[in-house]
Amino acid sequence: MADTFILWLLLVAAGGFTWWRFYRLLRPMKRAARAARFDQPLRRLAGVARALGLHERLLKIRYSGILHAMIFVSFIALTTSIVESFGSVLFPGFSLGPIGGTTWIALLQDIFALVMLAGVVLAAFQRYVLRPARFRGSNAIDATIIYVLIVTIVVSMIFEATFGILAGKAGADWRPVSHALAYALSPLRLSGEQAATAVTVFYWLHVTSILAFLIYIPGSKHRHMFLAAPNIYFRSLKPKGMLPRAAPDKPPAPVASVEQFTWKDMLDAYACTECGRCQAACPAYAAGLPLSPKLLITDIRDHLIDAGDTPLIGGVIREETLWACTTCHACMEACPVHIEHVPKIVDMRRYLVEEGKIAPMLQEALSNLQRTGNSMGSATRMRARWTKGLPFKIKDARKEPVDILWFVGDFASYDPRVQDVTRKVAMLLNEADVDFGILYEAEQNSGNDVHRVGEEGLFEMLALRNIETISGCSFNRIMTTDPHSLNALAQEYRAFGAVYEVMHYASFLLELIETGRLKLKAEARGKVTYHDPCYLGRYNGGFDAPRALIERAGYRLAEMPRCRENSFCCGAGGGQIWSDDSGVEERPSENRIKEALSLEGARYFVVSCPKDKVMYAAAVQSLGAEDAIEVVDLADLIARALAH
Amino acid sequence: MHIAVIIRLVPHTDSELEISDDGTDIDREWIDTKLNEFDDHALEEAILLKEIVGARVTALAVDTEGADRLLQTAIARGADEAHKISMPADVALCSRTMTLPVAAAVQKLGAELVLTGVQTPHDIYGQLAPYLGGALDWPQASAVSGIGADNDGILVQQELSGGVSTTLRLALPAVVGVQTASQPIRYVAGSKLRQAMSAEIGTLDTGAEPLEIGVKPTGLIASTAAGDVEMLNGGADAVAAKIHALLSERGLLRGERQ
Ligand code: SF4
Ligand code: SF4
Repeated sequence: MADTFILWLLLVAAGGFTWWRFYRLLRPMKRAARAARFDQPLRRLAGVARALGLHERLLKIRYSGILHAMIFVSFIALTTSIVESFGSVLFPGFSLGPIGGTTWIALLQDIFALVMLAGVVLAAFQRYVLRPARFRGSNAIDATIIYVLIVTIVVSMIFEATFGILAGKAGADWRPVSHALAYALSPLRLSGEQAATAVTVFYWLHVTSILAFLIYIPGSKHRHMFLAAPNIYFRSLKPKGMLPRAAPDKPPAPVASVEQFTWKDMLDAYACTECGRCQAACPAYAAGLPLSPKLLITDIRDHLIDAGDTPLIGGVIREETLWACTTCHACMEACPVHIEHVPKIVDMRRYLVEEGKIAPMLQEALSNLQRTGNSMGSATRMRARWTKGLPFKIKDARKEPVDILWFVGDFASYDPRVQDVTRKVAMLLNEADVDFGILYEAEQNSGNDVHRVGEEGLFEMLALRNIETISGCSFNRIMTTDPHSLNALAQEYRAFGAVYEVMHYASFLLELIETGRLKLKAEARGKVTYHDPCYLGRYNGGFDAPRALIERAGYRLAEMPRCRENSFCCGAGGGQIWSDDSGVEERPSENRIKEALSLEGARYFVVSCPKDKVMYAAAVQSLGAEDAIEVVDLADLIARALAH
Repeated sequence: MHIAVIIRLVPHTDSELEISDDGTDIDREWIDTKLNEFDDHALEEAILLKEIVGARVTALAVDTEGADRLLQTAIARGADEAHKISMPADVALCSRTMTLPVAAAVQKLGAELVLTGVQTPHDIYGQLAPYLGGALDWPQASAVSGIGADNDGILVQQELSGGVSTTLRLALPAVVGVQTASQPIRYVAGSKLRQAMSAEIGTLDTGAEPLEIGVKPTGLIASTAAGDVEMLNGGADAVAAKIHALLSERGLLRGERQ
């Protein structure tokens, strides 16, 4: 009776204290900005089941994925022991016995106790011996405390069972581990009474360590035990390339201080496991810039918990940190609990833009965009100048109907280093007898990167101007040479009610080849490698068409280790192309070229984004690797493989 | 204090300039225009004064194509009001011809300080500010890189050659040709710009007759670029070595250790 009373007391006290700790922690969420994340419950649940059940993202780092799966599954199995331990004392007479508590459940507990311990040993080995760089900046003491608590809980459980066997309790047959331990301890020759005392001691050690664990959780990154599933449930179901926006006429508000974040942003911060997978994937971090997506999230979290007097932006989070992001989405792709880093960064950038706190180069680019609709500040009337020198005239889609409306993009139009490729695309379309046209000087920058720089008003201006021009044209589909424009036209313009069928030129060229409109000569042409642009691949799933094209053109593709979803950003996205590389230790583009050089015998570094052509050609040059590898566009490959 | 800022649209010189058929002007059919860079600084300086001493700022531009948008931008930047100034249609626009209509507009508005850019690509001698000073019979200073104000008038920072600058005191009313603002030009977010795009810009009809043009161009010649560019390729070390070799070959290295 006394035991029951004491345990109730302990449970209520610990439960209440834990609840209070959670309440204090999560309190800011009550007054946070709204986020619409309550739709499609089934799809949301399915996502949670998939994430937990398959451990897909976790298993991308095999060792750590496996150890997490071991701990996770063991934890589920061992909840039976928790239920049993508490239930039997809180409600005298309660037992799992009737449903197998002394048979198969006991067996599971014994086995998973070992699996759990093995998992913790692997985790500790990883943290203290392997020490992957992604843990840099994570709280190691927190992890250690958790290891100690888990080991105490599991070991006390095993010893309770072991001494139970020594005290003559039945059920030893179903507890191989405890049985073996009991056998090992038999030389001690404990009396029944002594063994029973030991059972009591280990019982109380077991339950108190569980309660200690419970109390400890709200202040630890191991909160994710409770928050990971809800965080995955409330993940964004919008297309990846669409920044959150409440309504067409309601531009998202800038975030200047932590309470202006949405409740989901806050939940993200609390749910972070500090695993550092985002940090390991981040090109800005790799370049030595002051941005770690992990620390960004944990800084927001710590600031939520205790704001003190430091401002969020410029205090807790440096301006340079916000400007370092290329919005490449690698962090979000890697995060096992589906935390959304990029929208937070953009929200905070919006504040800096509103305040006019931007670097001179970016200011110049944005002012140019305001004035001329292109970041270089070139005259609008020069936009279609690249068409000079083509042996045919491209239709003006504003004046006559076309099948394919080609949205060319700024770099492809203006940059002399890319214009050649642009002309090749035109030649290929002409060769295939495609009925296509362009918007000439009425085309404006799509605004994709302007949006990500946080310049919401300018983004709207550019988007609305393009939408207005396009709405005056008669066409069937839009093709673009620029993945950034692809993302804006296909994903972002929807927010203004403009829905188009947009394709990247790789898919369209492939279509032309498959339908026999473009004929290629079958010939083996050697080995190449291919770089997935962030806004084509990760953002819009365009992984396969470029690869199919490479193959059709007769080349063999050697993949770089970081390919497809794991592709490594060239460093130019999200407005980075408009900033200098001060503070950069190693340019992401050079890091990437080195990766390509490590492949044996890949002659060409194939790109499918005009910015990539510029970025990588410069990187090859500055590495002095012109003899080893050449940057070519998909269109170059196809043009070379033409059948005539 | 009421400040009038005169802002002008000038050809975008990044575009390829072509000479018009009669050979006396650039072909304006195919070029973009933009706010004159020095006028941009004059506007910024006016807004800074507004913030520091609480001045009222009025932006003025001659009524030409694009003037509305130009003046709306000035409002987004912080100008309190903006007006176009009407000009007879057949008059070629230059500092001299715009002087009297602008001076009349300034008087009509009752402004006491006129700021404008020190020069434009058209007017490299910077005549507008002195012309206006003359027409209004107000004191005038040019090549100014910062303005302060106190009870007795304004203090202007003037750039002299050889890295020397001087501070002059001007009693108001006065005209100032601004070279640079005392702070970098701030960025105006697109949201503010969009808001200002709906502002109605009125026209001031002064009735002032422009002065006759004194000098007429007889011909315009495009300068020819002097070609020779050599690209240095290779890694940083190799490029550095080539630069070093080139400099030393041309005797441009001083005190080089042998
Ligand atoms: S989006 Fe890319 S650059 Fe930005 S924080 Fe994430 S990984 Fe780093
Ligand atoms: S944000 Fe996600 S990936 Fe990054 S440390 Fe936190 S849980 Fe890991």
